[in-house]
Amino acid sequence: MATPQPASGLLNKLPTRLLNFFARYPPQHYSAAVRPPPTDTTPAPAQASEEALPSPYTPNRDAKGHKRPDPTEFSVTRALLYSNPDHPNPFLPRKNFRTGKWIGPRIGLRTQADLVKLAKKYNVEELLPAGRKSTEFKETRKTERGLQVKGTGIGQKVKGHKWERTMETRLEDRRKAMMEMPEMIRLWKQRGHGRGWKKWPKK
Amino acid sequence: MAKKAKSRTIPVRLISMAMTGYFRTMIRPRTHRPLSMLKYDPVVKKKVLFLEATKGGRNK
Repeated sequence: MATPQPASGLLNKLPTRLLNFFARYPPQHYSAAVRPPPTDTTPAPAQASEEALPSPYTPNRDAKGHKRPDPTEFSVTRALLYSNPDHPNPFLPRKNFRTGKWIGPRIGLRTQADLVKLAKKYNVEELLPAGRKSTEFKETRKTERGLQVKGTGIGQKVKGHKWERTMETRLEDRRKAMMEMPEMIRLWKQRGHGRGWKKWPKK
Repeated sequence: MAKKAKSRTIPVRLISMAMTGYFRTMIRPRTHRPLSMLKYDPVVKKKVLFLEATKGGRNK
């Protein structure tokens, strides 16, 4: 990883797109490196609730049985998406607390991804503002979410094969039938080995 | 046209009463009483009662 301050020679090598970006959003104000460390926000849940309430990036997944995490809860990924009120992060949406409306990020996700890829190529990713496309955010999110296997979450289940779904009842039926088997065989022998048998199974 | 003659024997299915779904197919004379016997069921690994399955109440 590059140091937050690039060497002067590097400036000439950077593509115009990145140079323009850094000219507009100087790293000393906007870059992820100037963000306070995420541990600072740990004992301050009030700040998290104010800043990271319903994000426009989270569609309604409740319908699919997805349990949405508590938005007021502190999370490292949420702390990573830091926006300085004096220099609003162009990669993040903002909420207008007067009107209650969300303003989309100044730079869209697709453009963000392009910029991050470009910055990664020139080893200056740390100079970009914090965003959802950064390597740091993606890695933190991955560790935070853990193994994302469908059906392993609380209250989730997968449909499974039919033999898996009916396994329990079938085994129960079999167990009951085997419990009654000696009595059935005794009755069968008593009734002349099937001569007086009335209850034949249906096919 | 004359009706087709029925065969003297019929294949029947003997179902395990252990409710395992295991069955044996046998041939018996049409006029014979329904078959029933003790046979080995490999699913429960025991000798259990096998009874002939009725088709439309034929065995009644």
